[in-house]
Amino acid sequence: MEALRTLFPASDFTLLAAILALPALGALVNGLFGKRLGKEGVRLMALAALGGSFLASVLTYLLLPAEGKLTWTAWRWISIQGRMGQSIPIDVAFSVDALSGTMMLVITGVGFLIHLYSSEYMKNDPGFHRFFAYLNLFCFAMLTLVMGDNLAMLFVGWEGVGLCSYLLIGFWYGEDKNAAAGKKAFIVNRIGDFGLLVAMALIVYYVGTLRFDGIQSGASSLLQNVKIWPIGNMSSGTLPGFLHFLLPEQPVTILAATAVGLMVFLGCAGKSAQIPLYIWLPDAMAGPTPVSALIHAATMVTAGVYLVARLSAVFVLSPAALAVVAVTGALTALLAATIGLFQNDLKKVLAYSTVSQLGYMFIGVGVGAFAAGFFHVFTHAFFKACLFLGAGSVIHAIHVRIHDTDRSQDMGNMGGLKAYMPITRWTYLIACFAIAGLPILGSGFWSKDEILWKAFTVDIMAVSAPGVSQWMWPSWLGRAIYWAGVTGAVFTSFYMFRSYFRTFHGEFRGWKIDPTWKDPGHGHGHDDHGHDDHHEEHGEITGPVPHESPLPMTIPLMVLAAFSIGAGFLVAEPIHVAPLAHKLEPVFALSSRAIRQREGTEGLLFPMMLPGIAAFLAGTVGAMVVYQNRRGEPERRFATMFPRLHRLIYDKWRIDELYDATVVGMVDALADIFTIADKWIVDGILAKFTAALVGFFGTVLRAFQTGRVQVYAAAMVLGLVGVGWFMVKPHADATVNDEALRRSGEVKLSAAPGLGYSYRWDTPGVSETTFAKTTEHTVKLDPGETKDVTLRVRNAWGSESSETFTLTRPAGGRRGATEPGALPAPQPPTLPTGTIPAERIPDLIQPKGLQ
Amino acid sequence: MNLDPFLAASPLLVVALGGCLLMVAEAFSKHGREENDSRSAGPSGDLALGTAITLITGAIFSAGIWFVGPDKLEGSRALEPYLILDRFSLFFSFVLCVGGALSALLAGGYLPEHKLDRGEFYPLLIFSTLGAMMLAAAGDLLSLFLGLETMSLGVYALAGFRRASPRSTEAALKYFLLGSFAAAILLYGGALIYGATGHTDLAGIRAAITSTAATEGAANPAVLLIGVALVIVGLAFKVSAVPFHMWTPDAYEGAPTPATTFMAVAVKSAAFATLLRVLVEAFGDPALTSWASGWPPLLAFMALLTMTVANLIAGRQESVKRMLAYSSIAHAGYVLVGLVATIKVGGDAQASIMFYLLAYTASTVGAFGALILCGSRGAEAVSYEDLSGLGRRHPAAAMAFSFFLLSLAGTPPTAGFFSKFYIIKAALGAEHYVLVVVLVLNSVLSAYYYLRVLVFMYMREPAPGAPLARPMRSGYVTTALVLSAVLVLVLGVFPSTYLEIVAQAALASR
Repeated sequence: MEALRTLFPASDFTLLAAILALPALGALVNGLFGKRLGKEGVRLMALAALGGSFLASVLTYLLLPAEGKLTWTAWRWISIQGRMGQSIPIDVAFSVDALSGTMMLVITGVGFLIHLYSSEYMKNDPGFHRFFAYLNLFCFAMLTLVMGDNLAMLFVGWEGVGLCSYLLIGFWYGEDKNAAAGKKAFIVNRIGDFGLLVAMALIVYYVGTLRFDGIQSGASSLLQNVKIWPIGNMSSGTLPGFLHFLLPEQPVTILAATAVGLMVFLGCAGKSAQIPLYIWLPDAMAGPTPVSALIHAATMVTAGVYLVARLSAVFVLSPAALAVVAVTGALTALLAATIGLFQNDLKKVLAYSTVSQLGYMFIGVGVGAFAAGFFHVFTHAFFKACLFLGAGSVIHAIHVRIHDTDRSQDMGNMGGLKAYMPITRWTYLIACFAIAGLPILGSGFWSKDEILWKAFTVDIMAVSAPGVSQWMWPSWLGRAIYWAGVTGAVFTSFYMFRSYFRTFHGEFRGWKIDPTWKDPGHGHGHDDHGHDDHHEEHGEITGPVPHESPLPMTIPLMVLAAFSIGAGFLVAEPIHVAPLAHKLEPVFALSSRAIRQREGTEGLLFPMMLPGIAAFLAGTVGAMVVYQNRRGEPERRFATMFPRLHRLIYDKWRIDELYDATVVGMVDALADIFTIADKWIVDGILAKFTAALVGFFGTVLRAFQTGRVQVYAAAMVLGLVGVGWFMVKPHADATVNDEALRRSGEVKLSAAPGLGYSYRWDTPGVSETTFAKTTEHTVKLDPGETKDVTLRVRNAWGSESSETFTLTRPAGGRRGATEPGALPAPQPPTLPTGTIPAERIPDLIQPKGLQ
Repeated sequence: MNLDPFLAASPLLVVALGGCLLMVAEAFSKHGREENDSRSAGPSGDLALGTAITLITGAIFSAGIWFVGPDKLEGSRALEPYLILDRFSLFFSFVLCVGGALSALLAGGYLPEHKLDRGEFYPLLIFSTLGAMMLAAAGDLLSLFLGLETMSLGVYALAGFRRASPRSTEAALKYFLLGSFAAAILLYGGALIYGATGHTDLAGIRAAITSTAATEGAANPAVLLIGVALVIVGLAFKVSAVPFHMWTPDAYEGAPTPATTFMAVAVKSAAFATLLRVLVEAFGDPALTSWASGWPPLLAFMALLTMTVANLIAGRQESVKRMLAYSSIAHAGYVLVGLVATIKVGGDAQASIMFYLLAYTASTVGAFGALILCGSRGAEAVSYEDLSGLGRRHPAAAMAFSFFLLSLAGTPPTAGFFSKFYIIKAALGAEHYVLVVVLVLNSVLSAYYYLRVLVFMYMREPAPGAPLARPMRSGYVTTALVLSAVLVLVLGVFPSTYLEIVAQAALASR
């Protein structure tokens, strides 16, 4: 250990390069040479890359110092200038502390298991190498995201995982639905990215750094008011009358920390699927199931929670921003849980469950319990990955006979699988217990109840600063969030066990089992659909006995199920087992100062666990009664009693339709308007008209190009005559220097030089008669006096030219020669060097506003 | 014996020596004298390579002496004022040698393909390059004229190289007639200046002008002014500034394309080098650089005319080669903007001009080379229609052509973008806002006709039965294109590094 510490000093921890480089290498090799490597080669490359990365991550985690972090700076990317003129370096630098170290372990560990699973699941897919190239690239991007030492590197990873998510959702791009889902995810995430970019700009502007260390220590510079409207220097004079409502009497200001927090949270809401941007995640299930497990459950979607936790020092400065985070999280948790109640598609249930669980995580970070929120990220990664992989395993089995994606994921075609798929069944059950919060054993019990407990007891102190007013949390807010969370927990355990009972209990509804059945056609890749739907039989079909999945798929299930139970004990605070929490404490030491436990709640720790346990029991027993004992009869009865409500929930509260009608419709209308403007104004007037004009002049000029050499020579002669005429003609011009005008009334004129020129200066009264070589002339003016000075120039041929300058000295002796030094001398207008035409000179001598 | 003067002049000497050797080799070669039927039998193969090697050696010598530092060589000033061997000359020696070598490589593919495979092309090319290098180094009106004529006589012959073609002969004759006219004007101007000042060396002329401006009667200003006007007109002809440009489209179009390339890059660069040197070193006196009465307003007016007229006409061309000819005139206009800016921002503007000429050389060689590559005997790429659908039929050739056209249009990250950028920056520094606005507007105009080629290559399908360009295969042309592309990219990606290097070459004015 000591030898390793000397080999990798904390400030130059090059092992991080290996952790990053291995997945990148895997993506490169599989992407470029995947086809030639063959499936075994691709599999070996991908697994070795992730496995090696995982081992290095474990080593890194073991070497992690109790406080501080391990950093590695690759190179200086750019250096920009801050508002104080200081230079702000942005490095390609990575660092690991307990927070990012834990994330690293999840990414590489769960990632490795999912790679292993995919190597079997995707075995028959023609895009096998492409799949693993994307998957490796995703791991690389996700590692960049969590290991980045500054917001800029995080953003690189943030966009990288977004790209990989897009590529993998649309992995089977042959089908329109999948391509559309990929696009939807990408576009919705763009909205969030806008927020993150604005937040980065604000942080650079106010804090002057993008490094997380610097943001943490300099966060207090965010305690100032920012004018958010009107933007810039708009003043009421600049807008026409009917737009005056845009300019309120008092500019609208908010706290900089609130602005940054809200903008960051907009980015997080996009990436982590929170209201109002959660709509992309359920559609993202169009990707292969391992992708849903890795990207849309275990890692990428939790990046938002990670970011809020990472910027905790900013968020604690603004109770308002924290409240937005927590309330959004609670609403999302509740809304998504209700939608999950009636979904029939197994993956959709899990998708809404993910959205809902992400909501819990945001409740955690939103009430200032950063460690608790992050702990839920950690446990959720295991049980949700386990659930998705279990669902994948079931779909894998169903897919033997049912090739259509939607029907192979429909729980109506499952049931009774516990007899055929024991490993899948048991692991799925364990994960269900974990997410539903089985007391003591389920990891979700510890993490979720920790979050809800913190929500119930939190008391957020507003950090005050001179000149800013802070919004305070009302005392009921924490309790409201708590009860929302408990209600959501009832729904959670209900829909999870609903999915369990409908999938694994009862009768198998997929097809008529015929043990002698042989596959008449060729082998199919599962999920590999679209092109082979043509021989799908309808009505009663027969098929073989559903089979358990092979080892490479069941091993990850078992490992993840084990962690679904065990991970809970890493932070089981009520029973004083909390190794992970102790590691995380230093990370949030600074930000936890603003968070306090509400008085009078100290003794409530154990009593407050009871509603959680009750929620678990209510949901589980309810689901068991409805779907195990009564075969779903109550649900059908509910559907007939309240057909519209059931339909509404089944249609996901029609939020997608709402967006289509409002936001998407508005954007479409705007696009139509611009299309018309583009067609008529840009294409019509700007492009066609100017093109015609230019073409016309081109044609005219081209007519001179006759091809006759005499014409060419004539043009040259004309040009020569022009040049000669310019040289022979005298040009009178002068520059005016009036620096001393206010002090003494003197104006210096200097004539532009010319070869063979001689000059004569004529002023009223003083008239010279001879031309001389002097180019300088000084005129003295009394206050209020105006003089005309005429410059006459004679050149070598004796031709003459003249130019008249009108000079004026402003009147009024208040400021002037009489009281030197009484007032600061007005700054003379800066004169451009070179010559000035005569008519501009009075302007320069009498600038507006000086008289 | 002190060898330093020879060392300092070694780029010139190497090129001259190589030219003599190649001439002898060509004379005694056993290749047939007239057009051969088989393409491989012609002398081009060896001579093109030999010429390229000679000129590249010249370029390497220039670069070598640059790195040693010409001022460190004792006696490098021994040839002054006739040849001034400073960094300025070395930079242009380099650019001219590179331009000449790339043109020779293009000829190595073009001449055999089009049955023009006669060996004299290459010695003519080398000696023209030698003349151009002398021109760029000339510090005296006599050596300037000598260099100019050495360069021009060779180019006249190159322009008429396709003897059987009336267009080529016509181009050569027009170029020769007008070139002689311009040479006479230049010579007359030189004579008048000598008459007025008693000097033919640029430094002496400068001194005489300064004393004339200060005191009465040192020289006759009337004669001197006419001389200055005539010299400027004579040199403006060589850079093909409007209205002295009219020979350019005809000569460029009629000449075989490698000769056109050489005219567009080497002749133009050398002419700009000498124009810059004469203006800064001889006519740099405040009395002549005044914005009221000196040459800057003249050149600014010429720049406005050159840019606008060339771009307007270029948009109306049907022949791609003629379009490129007008484009080369337009680029001269952009350089003239930089030239005007030299009076106020000096070194920066000079550096921007030199950067521009290097970038322009690479991009133009590439564009003409791609044009050569796109056509073969009997299926030349002449009009836009000939290129229809080339992007699909021959993606590599179309891609090369697009790349160089985008550089000429000034698209990042190519050299063309930064060359224009630095010219604009210099002009802004000198507060020539009108010139900048017109330059930018003209860039927009130019994008139209450059992109039009891309439109035809990628978005049009050929009309059935219409003649089509069929790309040729030639290692020489490909090599030239690859070298130019590397240069274009390197200058476009690391522009500031190269700007700093060329800034060392700026002439010290006043």
